[in-house]
Amino acid sequence: MKRPIAAQLKHPALLQGLASFFVVLLFLGANAAVYAEDKAPPAEEKKEEKKDVAKVSFRQDVANVLLQNCSACHGPKKAEGGYRVDTFEQLMRPGESGEAAVTAQDIEDSELLRRIISDDESERMPLEADPLSKEDVAKIRQWIEQGAVYDAKDPKLPLAAIVPPPEHPAPPEAYPQSMPAAALVFSANGEELFVGGYHELTVWNTKTGALLRRIRNVDERTLALALQPQGDILAVGGGSPGRRGEVRLFDAKTGAMKSVLATTTDVVLDVAFNPAGDRLAVAGADAIIRVFDVASGEETLTITSHSDWVSALAWSDDGKQLASASRDKTSKVFDAKTGDLLITYSGHGQPVKGVAFHPDGKQVFSAAADKKIHLWKIADGKKVKDIASFGAEAYRLTKFKGGLLASSADKSVRQFNLADGKQVRVFKGLADWALSTAVNENAKLVAAGGFDGMVYIWNLEDGKEIAKLQSAPGFTLQAAKN
Amino acid sequence: MMQNRPSFQTVLSRPFWLVPIMAFAFALPAFLLPGGVSSAADKNPQAESLPLLTFEVFPPNVTLRHAKDHVQLVVTGETTRGMQDLTRAVKYESSDPGVVEVRDGVVYPRGNGRAELVVRAAGRAAVVSCEVTGFENPHVVSFEYETLAALSKQGCNSGACHGSPSGKGGFRLSLRAFDSAVDRVTLIREDFGRRTNPLQPESSLLLAKPLMKVAHGGGLKLTKKHVAYTVLLDWISQGCQLDPKDAPRCTSIEVYPPSGRVLKMPAHEQQLSVLAHFSDGTTRDVTDLAVYSSSDDEVASVDESGWTEGHDRGEVAIIVRYLEFIESTYITFVRDVEGFKWSNPTANNYIDDLVYGKLRQLRYLPADICTDDEFLRRAHLDVIGVLPTVEESQAFVADQDPEKRAKLIDRLLERPEYARYWALKWGDLLRMTQKAVGADGLHKYHRWLERSFRDNKPFDQFAQELLTAAGSTDENPPANFYRTTSDANDCVETISQIFLGARLQCAKCHNHPFERWTQDNYYGMAAFFNRLKREKTNRPDEIFIWVSRSGEVTQPRTGRQMKPWLPNVGELDLPGEVDRRQAFAKWLAAPDNAFLAKVGVNRMWGHLVGRGIVDPVDDFRDSNPPSNAALLEALAKDFVDHGFDRKHILRTILNSRTYQASSQTNTFNQDDDRYFSHYQPRLLSAEQLLDAIGQVTGAPESFAALPAGMKATQLPSPDIVKNEFLKIFGQPERQTVCACERSSDSNLGQALQLFNGKLIHDKLRQESNRFRKLLAEKKSDEEIVTELYMAAFSRTPNAAELAASIKHLASKDDRVSALEDICWAILNTNEFLFQH
Repeated sequence: MKRPIAAQLKHPALLQGLASFFVVLLFLGANAAVYAEDKAPPAEEKKEEKKDVAKVSFRQDVANVLLQNCSACHGPKKAEGGYRVDTFEQLMRPGESGEAAVTAQDIEDSELLRRIISDDESERMPLEADPLSKEDVAKIRQWIEQGAVYDAKDPKLPLAAIVPPPEHPAPPEAYPQSMPAAALVFSANGEELFVGGYHELTVWNTKTGALLRRIRNVDERTLALALQPQGDILAVGGGSPGRRGEVRLFDAKTGAMKSVLATTTDVVLDVAFNPAGDRLAVAGADAIIRVFDVASGEETLTITSHSDWVSALAWSDDGKQLASASRDKTSKVFDAKTGDLLITYSGHGQPVKGVAFHPDGKQVFSAAADKKIHLWKIADGKKVKDIASFGAEAYRLTKFKGGLLASSADKSVRQFNLADGKQVRVFKGLADWALSTAVNENAKLVAAGGFDGMVYIWNLEDGKEIAKLQSAPGFTLQAAKN
Repeated sequence: MMQNRPSFQTVLSRPFWLVPIMAFAFALPAFLLPGGVSSAADKNPQAESLPLLTFEVFPPNVTLRHAKDHVQLVVTGETTRGMQDLTRAVKYESSDPGVVEVRDGVVYPRGNGRAELVVRAAGRAAVVSCEVTGFENPHVVSFEYETLAALSKQGCNSGACHGSPSGKGGFRLSLRAFDSAVDRVTLIREDFGRRTNPLQPESSLLLAKPLMKVAHGGGLKLTKKHVAYTVLLDWISQGCQLDPKDAPRCTSIEVYPPSGRVLKMPAHEQQLSVLAHFSDGTTRDVTDLAVYSSSDDEVASVDESGWTEGHDRGEVAIIVRYLEFIESTYITFVRDVEGFKWSNPTANNYIDDLVYGKLRQLRYLPADICTDDEFLRRAHLDVIGVLPTVEESQAFVADQDPEKRAKLIDRLLERPEYARYWALKWGDLLRMTQKAVGADGLHKYHRWLERSFRDNKPFDQFAQELLTAAGSTDENPPANFYRTTSDANDCVETISQIFLGARLQCAKCHNHPFERWTQDNYYGMAAFFNRLKREKTNRPDEIFIWVSRSGEVTQPRTGRQMKPWLPNVGELDLPGEVDRRQAFAKWLAAPDNAFLAKVGVNRMWGHLVGRGIVDPVDDFRDSNPPSNAALLEALAKDFVDHGFDRKHILRTILNSRTYQASSQTNTFNQDDDRYFSHYQPRLLSAEQLLDAIGQVTGAPESFAALPAGMKATQLPSPDIVKNEFLKIFGQPERQTVCACERSSDSNLGQALQLFNGKLIHDKLRQESNRFRKLLAEKKSDEEIVTELYMAAFSRTPNAAELAASIKHLASKDDRVSALEDICWAILNTNEFLFQH
């Protein structure tokens, strides 16, 4: 860490001039909501630039310190002392003490700084924890000295949404434990299967079950995968439970990351491309549904209708409606353009886990913890019938032209007719809960992922098993025992 | 400690010349001073100065089976001043520090082998032989016995948090880990295994949330210093493994020291040790995974390591919970009180012996005996529910017979009002209302109840008749009991509260969160009553109770068909065709059944003394210990020995000096409200008060449709007469089986009734009331006032009271109005409103 800038520069006026100049620069630079890797300067170069000016950025240097150390107690869930730091706007607002939290350029009149450097353990933040590192304290001090400038877009945005997306750590070379195979998707030609791993995606040969590639720079868990209908872009949703949610877009062919589309406060649970492939709907544990323009990365729609996690999303075939499944025990249908709520279905009385449109566009299938798939009408929100009963919770629904796939904790994957809802086939062989399904009609393949990390690939037409693989590279039961 | 404060305030308010004397007092050794708690520093000089008569270490030997095993030691020494805990004061020396070491009284392994641990204090030494095996073997954390215990320890699965039916924040655990199948799914699997991260265990949400690394609605609940942190971290690191199916099961827990330890301040600390016994014969120390609570935090508190600290004299139960196992240990804290000198009161019977024994131990001085007029009024209200008449009071005061109190008690117990008044009390418990059993049913049921008191029906027989009643409710009135209980669950809850003194409602849906009752117990008991059929006949208001030959109870959580189950007995195999209730009633009424006699005598004690030995009277549980266990035992034994003779017990209590104690307190008992050192005044019950007002004013209340002269204390049910006054003063509607439904709280409505309520107003205005009759008889002011005093207080007014009344009468032109004032004032005195 460098010495404080004031020690180097004896001329305060010059310092201020420099500061405001760079503030403008940074403001402009951070204006794009999307962190597009190709546009951003290479990491090395960026570091150099910072060193030269020793300018502290709220977005890049301060926000994450607050997020990691303060927001648990001073957030929307628990605003200790009436003070919150979960957005910039909140950060600047005094708590119950009435003391100014941050006064630009005045470290004496900034309670925030006083509390993190206090010698008195009873008031030093974070309470009952190790004090902040010298480096972190210096960053906050300098940021205040330099004018406490906000260099992200909207001061109301959660800090989690403005901090620069991290370069995620590498996955384990060999997994000591398997991880639930919560998300999988076929490549357009059906030759490859993408499976969510731990800080990675694994790519498998669908004929042999052999591991082809490992794609890095992915958040801890991947809970949703979707391939753009055109087949080029892979959307990866997931995050670190309780801490962060993310959607990243990857080039499906090269595995190169294209952009970080969204950053949220808790894990992303589903991502879904519209039939045209120009929109991506994102849902997660923050109970919010977001729709993004895939090309620009702009968030075009934000729906806050659900009161609990949104577990799954589906587009209608015409792309005009969006259906959701939520832990708030409802399934809903929205106008995909305006976000207006069209209907709420409460028939499950249990958390809803999966959702799909009937091809007639007038009915919706929903799967829930009540172990059933219901078919219900959008017009009046009334149930038409139970499609199926499972031995345990039903999870995701995957719709394709020729039918509907459902996974369940009863270790089964079942295929139904869309027209009459009749069960066509049960895909067998799972030894654990079936969490995820994928289908590629052209290649006539079905895949399912289990809680034990096992992935099964079957022939769509006859249900015969083609390949079976453990999605955690290097994991064997023997390894688990050791 | 709170109770000590007044004495210090007294010190502060003393004249300055006393200061040197007080200073001298402060120079005395700490243990001679009042004001219980001493710091640890006070304790050690004493530990060293007084020779130890005995010196013991528990457990006497230690076996450690893996590297993370450990055992809590408890070291006890006894001096001439009594027992004291020396666990943290002694020196521990290991013969081989490579095998075992001791930190804070806990033995930890260092390597395989044998070693001796020498424990030394005040010239005494004890040796604990230790053995460590399997030090090199990795210890696999047990899901049930460590992980779930750790979550219970931190309170994660408490009813207010994730143990609530839906689980806070969508994270649902079973209440205090009673259903490990639910917990298994929630912790390991739910939401794609969100909560545990075996690849980076320390970042698991299960740890990050309670550590407040991630926002947690419940706040900081865990630190890295907690043993629960290590348990959870290790369990996740090992891949969240479940216990093997054939793993040994915990069968019981054992708490050391057992009940009965007495600590005399300044000795006021006690380390506890908790051992869990397993089905394979092994024992594990679970002291750091057990959950502790004190029945009275003002007397003693206990921390999460089982370290108990006394704060004031008294008795506490320290309740220890490890998963579904609950045990408690009673500890008594005593201390010297400056100036306390035992008064050597003469005991009238065994009750006094036992009460005085406890009072003397705790340094409380019993109150003097109450006056004759107080006793007369008190005994009338308690035994027959009404005030003595003016004539009865005059006669009793004039009586010179030294046995007159005992003789009065005998007379009262034989009066018809006795049976009627006690039928009112029991009518409450049996939820006897016209609504529930019909008009005919009510009168027949009530008459049966009244007769059982009049005939002094033995309590065991009473219980059996009630619980096994069958047939027509018209012909067999106690069968109405099963009319007021609607189904098997209601039977379990009602019968257990009335006759077992246990509140079982919680166990319907889950194991009782604080007590040893489990959900299995609940449905096991329901299996005695589920075959009962209640059928209407073609006669109005009649129900026919009969028992079917078949029908079983299914435990809703496990789906298991339950066999009839009895506390302390277990499951019964009963032939199919029997009325299972007979087996229950037989068990309940057996002389060796501790429940019936204890609950029975405790209710009687509570009615007479105003506070149960176990209080509330129908809330027997580990966490609510009796204030005088020996007294409860002795009364119960007496009850059984005398064939469950209720009058015998009432007579014995009424004759005790304890019952006859004055309500006037002294310096050495004013703080006591539970050991019966003095009589505790209490507000007359609604019915008593209404009758008393009627009697004093000479204008008794009449109840429409009921025979003239029926008193409020004799009403068969609250729903046959609507009386606002009774409602306001807490008459229960008989909706619940809880004695607490009768409210004893005072409220604004009561004050308004007494100040300017219609009822009192009308009685004061009534033409034929007491003082108008006396006026008509041309009685003097003094005679009239004296009679009013006798009627209300069972005593004559003193000179000052008389003078004040005479003066008021003289100041008013209207004698009638002046007497109304005086009568009103009398009805508004505490002496009238309270039993004292």
